Formats: sequence, structure tokens, C-alpha cells
Amino acid sequence: MAETLVEMRQIEKFYGRVHALRSVNLRIERGEIVGLLGDNGAGKSTLIKVLSGAVAYTSGEIRIKGRPVQMRSTLDAIANGIETIYQDSALVPQLSIARNLFLGRELRKGAGILDRLDLDRMNAVAADLLKRVGISKNIPPTTPIGSLSGGERQAVAIARAMYFDSDLIILDEPTNNLGVAETQGVLRFVREARDTGHSCVFIAHNIHHVFQVVDRIVVMRRGTVVADDLSPRTSSIQQVEDIITGEHMAA
Amino acid sequence: MSDRTTALPPGAPARGPGLLRAFIAQPEFGPLVLLVVMLVVFTAINPAFLSLTNIGNALTFTVELGFIALAMTMLMTAGEFDLSVGSVFGFAPVVMWTLFNTEILPLPLAFLAALLVALVIGLANGLFVTRLGIPSFLVTLGMLLVVRGSALWLTDGFPQRTWNAGEQWLATVLVGDFYIGGLRIYMSLIWFILLAVMFHYALTRTRFGNWIQATGGNPGAARNRGVKISRVKVALFMVSALMAAFAGIISSIRVSAANPNSGTGYELEVIAMVVIGGTVLTGGRGTILGTVLGVLILRLMRNGIVMIGVPGLAYNIFIGAIILGMMALHSGLERRHNAGV
Repeated sequence: MAETLVEMRQIEKFYGRVHALRSVNLRIERGEIVGLLGDNGAGKSTLIKVLSGAVAYTSGEIRIKGRPVQMRSTLDAIANGIETIYQDSALVPQLSIARNLFLGRELRKGAGILDRLDLDRMNAVAADLLKRVGISKNIPPTTPIGSLSGGERQAVAIARAMYFDSDLIILDEPTNNLGVAETQGVLRFVREARDTGHSCVFIAHNIHHVFQVVDRIVVMRRGTVVADDLSPRTSSIQQVEDIITGEHMAA
Repeated sequence: MSDRTTALPPGAPARGPGLLRAFIAQPEFGPLVLLVVMLVVFTAINPAFLSLTNIGNALTFTVELGFIALAMTMLMTAGEFDLSVGSVFGFAPVVMWTLFNTEILPLPLAFLAALLVALVIGLANGLFVTRLGIPSFLVTLGMLLVVRGSALWLTDGFPQRTWNAGEQWLATVLVGDFYIGGLRIYMSLIWFILLAVMFHYALTRTRFGNWIQATGGNPGAARNRGVKISRVKVALFMVSALMAAFAGIISSIRVSAANPNSGTGYELEVIAMVVIGGTVLTGGRGTILGTVLGVLILRLMRNGIVMIGVPGLAYNIFIGAIILGMMALHSGLERRHNAGV
């Protein structure tokens, strides 16, 4: 792990009087999968919103590949190679897979009033991409997202992040409401993304899912990071759960 | 039409039965069948229904609401709608003919001025909806009253004369007529066909069309991907007002009067045309082809029931029944589609 991709330093966030993030430091290396864990209200979702540009932070610094950046909007984050995959909110159900993949960055041809979508090329790229992320069933790229299963939708969102070569893919509860087989599918896509050089931040309530796929576990409690170098190979699920709940301090 | 296969269930074979099923699952299928049934029934009862004179007349009236319906389809696909179109339909010609009759502006400039006024009305609608976050129902209801009130106040409630339009080239370009065989065609029909093709192309083939569908389908996702949803909506409110003004001006030249009360109630008839055609009220999916069918269905129904001897006052019963029937059909198809049948 030679290169540090993202470094968040001393991030503070107030919601009115609520101190949601207290001097949070977080590093993400290139090509690693970080599991972010914590109880409800621990601050993990606020931290992710800060990193994805959805929420402004009160103070602190974010560096990407060593360079300080401003995160004012989700577009800033995307421009900096950070792609966030929220449950369901990332795709337009009525549009086809191909049109969703290229939404906001449509391929076009022709000039002037003949400036139009290059649907043939968009569909071809989408079909190729679906094969690459291993959607085994024969789903045409013109299928509307609305008729896909939850796992297939996550796969499309991950495929999009991979196609646009995002350095960091943030997955917020990607396995919620998914069946066993679909969950395994999503975890496979996450590994695939890592193996092709993307870093991931993986947030899930289900600690077993996190243990199956991540390289490193970061735990937050009460707005601050309480552990950031737990390995699923050396720590047990029980130990991590104790840190999440604060039991290890009481013991 | 590579993108129209979207209604195919995943993995469906693209052979004969599959193609037929895909065709039936299209939102335009229901309205098309209804239109054919109407033509057959009306013609069977009164063969004069299919006479060239009647078709020519029916098409003339048809397109004036059709212009508005095209724009409303786009707007509803983006998840908004516009109740002020009927009042703009009445107001724009009043502005144009007042400017012309009082010799303030020559007709072509008065025409442009009226369209400009409409654009400002649309811009105001769009800004109220996007900047202040007020639902379009309330914004455009308020605008309906403001615009209708302006038309009445400007004219003291009296129609503006337009009969000296005869010598104007602009009137010929907009509503002049010519014959193809025995069929009398008005220029407004040509304009409607041109605009319908352009709107269909824009909605299905361009980036703007993609953004319109995304804006109505999932605004949050669209914004996250960099789609400028506020700009899309403002532009569509402006197009909506522009088309309403254009339709109102054409109508005023055809009937030789700009009545400040004309267009009353058109907003609901237009919305009915659009939803009968298969566009979803909640946004995300719209079809120009379906809207053209919806326009034809409502206007031919009005024309046809009179010709077969049903009292004209019963018209609304039929329209209401068609709306309910079509909604039931569309929701049934939607459920079948979602169940993967």
C-alpha cells in the first residue's frame, strides 16, 4: 500500500449545536477496502456525506493524492474521483441501464440541432460492462433499471463507478434488503473493483458482510474514530463489536 | 428505435410472440386500439364521419390543443405540470392584437412581443417552482388567475378584432389553407406535425430529453450526476407557455377574434390528452407519440359523438370514462410489467 489516496484531517462538523464529527482523521490507501463501522448516530454517515460532498464540514482538511481539495458539492467529489453509491438513490428507475450509466456524461454525436445521444455506442459499452462485472443473466442494456433486482441495481451502480475510473467508491449500506445470493454478488463486485485498482469504503450494519470483504476496519463512536487499524484476519467479530458498543472500555 | 425495446422483459426472446408482447406492453398500445375502435364505431354509425370535410375540420381544431399537449408531455415527464396554459392561450393573442390594432407595432413584431410575454410568464412559473420550492399546482394556479385577470383588464372583457389579418403574410404562414385532392389542410396542421416530430426527437434522442426523464424519474440521483434539474424545469415551463401562446394566436386568427376568455378549462383537457396517451402524472416517463394519439382521441370523440347523435352535452361523460379506463389499463400493464410477465 504505497500511495495514500484520501486523507481527512481534523474534520469537525456541527449541526447547529450537535457536535456530529469531533476531530476525525481518516486515511484511505490506494487499492484497499475499508470497512466503516459504528452504531446508529456514531457519525459514519455524516463522515461519508462530507467525503462525498453532500454535506459541508465546519472545519478540517481533505487531501486527495496529497493535494488539498474543496468539497462543496457531489460534483466536486465526482470530479475528484469519488463515487458514492447510496441505496436506490443513485439510479433513475425509468431509464435504461445504458442511459443510467452515462447520465450526466452522455455520449453524443452530431453537431448543432443534430446533436444527439450516441445510443448505439452507449448500449455497446453498457453490454460490455455488464459482462465484465459478471451479471451472468442475459440482460440487454436497454432494460429499464426499474425491472432489475436490488443486487443487479447495485451492480450497475458499481459498474458505473468502475467505468468512469473513480479512485474511491463509497458504498453506503449496499447489502441492505438483499437476499443471500445477491449479497454475495455485491461483495464479489466490491472485490473485483479492488482488484482493478479502485479503493472502497464499505458501510454496512451487518458486521459479517464487512468481515467477508474488507482489508481494514475503522470504528466510529460518538462522532470520533476510536479504532482505525483493525484487521478482519487478526480481530474477531466479538472484539470489533465490543469496540463499537464501548464494551472494551468497561471491561 | 433501439431504445423502444425497453419494455421487453429481461431475457425475452425477440421472436414473433415476444415482439407482439413487447408491442402490447408499450404505453401507446392502449390509446392506439381505442382510436381505431372509435374510428370504426363512429364510421359504422355515420359514414359521414370519415368524409374529407369532416376530417379536415376535426384536424383543424385538434392541433390547437395539440401544440400545448406536446409541451405538457415534456413538462409532466419532468414531474411538473402547468395549469396556466389555458389563460396564456387567451392572453397572448389579446396582447398581440392590442399592439397591432392600436398601431403600436406591425403584426410580425406584435407576434414576437406576445411570444416574449409568454416566455416571461413561463420563466416566472419556473423560478417560483425551482427557487422557492412551491408545488407547480399552486404556482400555476396563481399564474392562471393573474394572466386571465390581465387579459380581462387589458380588454375590458371585450374580444379584440382580428379580421384585418387577411392581408398579412404571417396569418397565411400560421393558418393559411390548401387542398390535397378534396381534403382541406390548414398550415397549423403542418406546424403541428413538424413540432411533434421535433419534440419526439428531443425527448428520446437528445441529452436534454435524457435529463427531462431523469429529472422526473429520480431528481436526487439526477442532481448527483450533474443534471441541472432546475434549468430543465425552467426551460420546460417556458416552452409550455410559448406553445400555449402560439396555439392561442393561431386560434385567434382562425376564428377572427381574440377573446380574453378563450382557453378557459383547456389546461385540464390538455392534461387529460397527455395522460390518456400514456405519460405518467408523477413524472419519469412520457411519450409524444402517445400524446398525439391522446389528442386525436379527445378531439375525434367530441366530433364523433355529435355526428352519431349523442347530445353534445354528454361529451364529458365519455371523456371521463376514457380517462378512467385508460388509467386502469396503464396501471394494469405497469403491474404486469413489474411482475416480469
